[in-house]
Amino acid sequence: MLDMMTKVIQEIPEKDVSFADMRQESHASTQIMVVNGDLRRFSEATKGGTVARVLVGECWGMSSTSESLSLEICKTLLKDATRSAKANARFSRKPLDFSGVQPIEQTLWQKCKVDPSKVSTEEKLEFVMALDKSMQTDARIVNRNSIYTDEKKIFRLVNTAGSQLEWDEIRTRAVVQPVAREGNTMQFNYDFRGGKTGYELVQAIDIEPFGADCAKGAIELLSAEKSPSGKMTVIADGDISGLIAHEVCGHASEADEVVKKRSFLTDMAGIKVGTDLVTMVDDGTLKEYAGSYPFDSEGTPSSRTVIIENGVFKGYMHTIETASLMGVAPTGNGRAQDYNRRIFARMTNTFFDVGDWKDEDIIADTKDGLYVVRSLSGMEDVVGGGVQCSALKGYIIKNGELTQLVRSMTLAGKVLEILQTVDAVGNNLQFAGGSCGKGEEDFIPVTSGGPHMRMEMVVGGG
Amino acid sequence: MNIADIADKTVALAEKSGATQAEVYSIRVKTASTYIDDDIPKIGGSLVEFGIGLKYIIGKQIGFTSSTLAQETPEDVVERAKSIARVSNEDLKFVSLPEPKKVSGSPDKYHDNDTAAADSTILMEKAMEVVKGASADNVTVPNGSLRVSSVQYHIRNSLGVDVGSKGTIAFGFFTAKSEDDSGVGEGVQRCWSRELASIDFSNIGEVLKSQALSVLKAKPFKEKWDDAVGVLAPSEGSEILYGLVAFAANGENVNKRSSPWTDKVGDVVTSESLSIVDNGQSERGLLSSVVDDEGVPTQKTPIIENGVLKAYLFDSYNGNQLELSSTGNGIRRIARDLAGRFTTPAVCAATTMEVKPGTKSVDDIIGEIKRGVYIEHFAWPIVDPMSGTFSNEIRNARIIENGELGNPIRYALWVGNLYESLKGDVMVANDLEVHNKRVIPTIAFPNTEVVGQ
Repeated sequence: MLDMMTKVIQEIPEKDVSFADMRQESHASTQIMVVNGDLRRFSEATKGGTVARVLVGECWGMSSTSESLSLEICKTLLKDATRSAKANARFSRKPLDFSGVQPIEQTLWQKCKVDPSKVSTEEKLEFVMALDKSMQTDARIVNRNSIYTDEKKIFRLVNTAGSQLEWDEIRTRAVVQPVAREGNTMQFNYDFRGGKTGYELVQAIDIEPFGADCAKGAIELLSAEKSPSGKMTVIADGDISGLIAHEVCGHASEADEVVKKRSFLTDMAGIKVGTDLVTMVDDGTLKEYAGSYPFDSEGTPSSRTVIIENGVFKGYMHTIETASLMGVAPTGNGRAQDYNRRIFARMTNTFFDVGDWKDEDIIADTKDGLYVVRSLSGMEDVVGGGVQCSALKGYIIKNGELTQLVRSMTLAGKVLEILQTVDAVGNNLQFAGGSCGKGEEDFIPVTSGGPHMRMEMVVGGG
Repeated sequence: MNIADIADKTVALAEKSGATQAEVYSIRVKTASTYIDDDIPKIGGSLVEFGIGLKYIIGKQIGFTSSTLAQETPEDVVERAKSIARVSNEDLKFVSLPEPKKVSGSPDKYHDNDTAAADSTILMEKAMEVVKGASADNVTVPNGSLRVSSVQYHIRNSLGVDVGSKGTIAFGFFTAKSEDDSGVGEGVQRCWSRELASIDFSNIGEVLKSQALSVLKAKPFKEKWDDAVGVLAPSEGSEILYGLVAFAANGENVNKRSSPWTDKVGDVVTSESLSIVDNGQSERGLLSSVVDDEGVPTQKTPIIENGVLKAYLFDSYNGNQLELSSTGNGIRRIARDLAGRFTTPAVCAATTMEVKPGTKSVDDIIGEIKRGVYIEHFAWPIVDPMSGTFSNEIRNARIIENGELGNPIRYALWVGNLYESLKGDVMVANDLEVHNKRVIPTIAFPNTEVVGQ
């Protein structure tokens, strides 16, 4: 297949085309969902498709299909993509120089200790049923949801620079979500394990406490009070600090937002944006994390990018295009959701790095504040430099001790002000895998992480 | 082979191989798109995708699989589905796939030929109208996307369901950035329609520009208002109201008892000013069709009538559990992206949520509010549908004091409990707009807080 794709891409007749690539993807996934003891979904899905991209001036054309790949289909995709690129190119203001793209020829198959495709469906089903049972601990748990997913994606990529690549990505995930009810009050909790790893991830889960602890958390939330609102000292757990890293500086450091000067972090390299305790990294090479991969959707190897180092802003995450525009090397952050979607600069595994505080010492050192635990969702503000991070729960801190449990709150503030208030950073990194959208769509697997961090933020308790 | 023939063939293969019931959903999607980047059309795209989803049933054992059939045959797909069904636990709540019912209306009733024919070059010209409309010395359009999809789907099951529908959707998302000595501002506009020609792109550009420039004048909100009315523009109110109502009225959530509206049909759940229907054949709805994604005829289902909860929404699986008929709410498609929808089985979900408009204009409603905030854009409006709590960051808003719109504000949170707010003095305006799966006007939500930063 690679030879066929290469042959077509090397014979592009159009002289205006300065770069082109073609990527074929095959996806296979398993999903098992058990609700209240009933097997609600058991599915195995496959899909496949091919996309061609063509660059004319500074404008792209792309064309994709789910049809079986043939020489004729390859030619049609390139022809359609070229037509679109040329139509757009009448607005092009400058040519892009991709001459620095280095050809790579490589095949990389992921090594799993336990390949999910080799595990029997009965075993997977038994695991999910056990997850469901593990949450059945109290009559107030009125709804139990347990999910197992695995997916394998195979990629084949060629480009006009001469690259020929084949690789795969295998990810596995297990989720529990109990709902507790007492009178008219309802609360939920969740927990999960996931990563770019095989079925060994599932085999390492101690099922009973995994589900039971989560159920206990949902029941505890029934008696949680409303969170206080206003500006206050916040200690974020690693999950929340990861979300802040992702939403606050992550999206604004994606270089496509920088080259068009939309990001509030444009032209910030070398400038102090946080206290000395703040270091932030994006690293697509971390073993077994959900946001890792050998090559991005453009065929650039993944890499480690230091975004903030000891409070000083250092650099951005790049596609081939943004790297070319800014005169640096691409960082392997050009990602697409799948063959139907565009490639642009995206995060991989993004995290604040550790400090030297013990987690419990940060709490003991705080007279009044809010300890915020477990993220729900976040939204970036690339232009304005604000942030919205929603959390499931928290604890009011009084005189260095955790007191009242509080529910559902949103953290907000101006990023550059928040980072200047970070005065304690824990020594224990915590990561959580998830899915990231950009501009409300284009979802990709990522991981966010961080240590416990203390800072000043605005809290809105719902 | 057309999508109906593939569905027919695959069901026949499943039955022959031992399925007691089988259902195939086959779908073909064609999408054209254009992306605006820094004031120019950056990417023009096209995609064509075909796929099938097969539900294979042996007694009460159910297996589901899907494929684009690019690298395998229908026979392979049937064998895989069969192997899943054979190892599945029995689902004792499963009764049957839907029986065929009379379908009224033409399958292409909601399909617009001109929209379906639009390619990326046509979209580029439309999107550039937005850029032109927003153009000013200190305003740019750094991001935008516009796409149109035409979809054709067909459902065939072993009980005789053999129906399909066609549709078109146009969707756009644009942002504008403004800048002056005081800082930066952003405007955000989305557009949704089944017909590309119905969208006024120049006007979207004008509104974008106005929004972005308005934010430049916004002052940080530093107070804390405990009893404020949140007046939400349709784009924002639709997200938060739908997030709550579509969850609480969902028959699946009722059956698994995670809906706060379980056992509340006939109860007053909101202000009497609120009436909401789910309308699978909505005149303006993006997912409007003659059948849902299980082949059940779509219908208009009252959810809330003058504040009283009237009914829940059901797909066939959840309706059967209560010995009720499906309300035509077995859904796979989503308005925003029709690609890949064959990879999941139908779930119980709303089609188009229509909120009955009030008689007052937005200005009239604002005139009746002592203290509140008129919100045009949140970071991302969300609500916890189980507890009703919300806390959303305001990005573009103006305060309301003594019936007058005041200064633009930023850096504030809108906080409250939506279940509680809906029971208060909700006011519904008359300015209906389409946003995703909703047709909804501006709504004023009482008894909420505004927390300054």
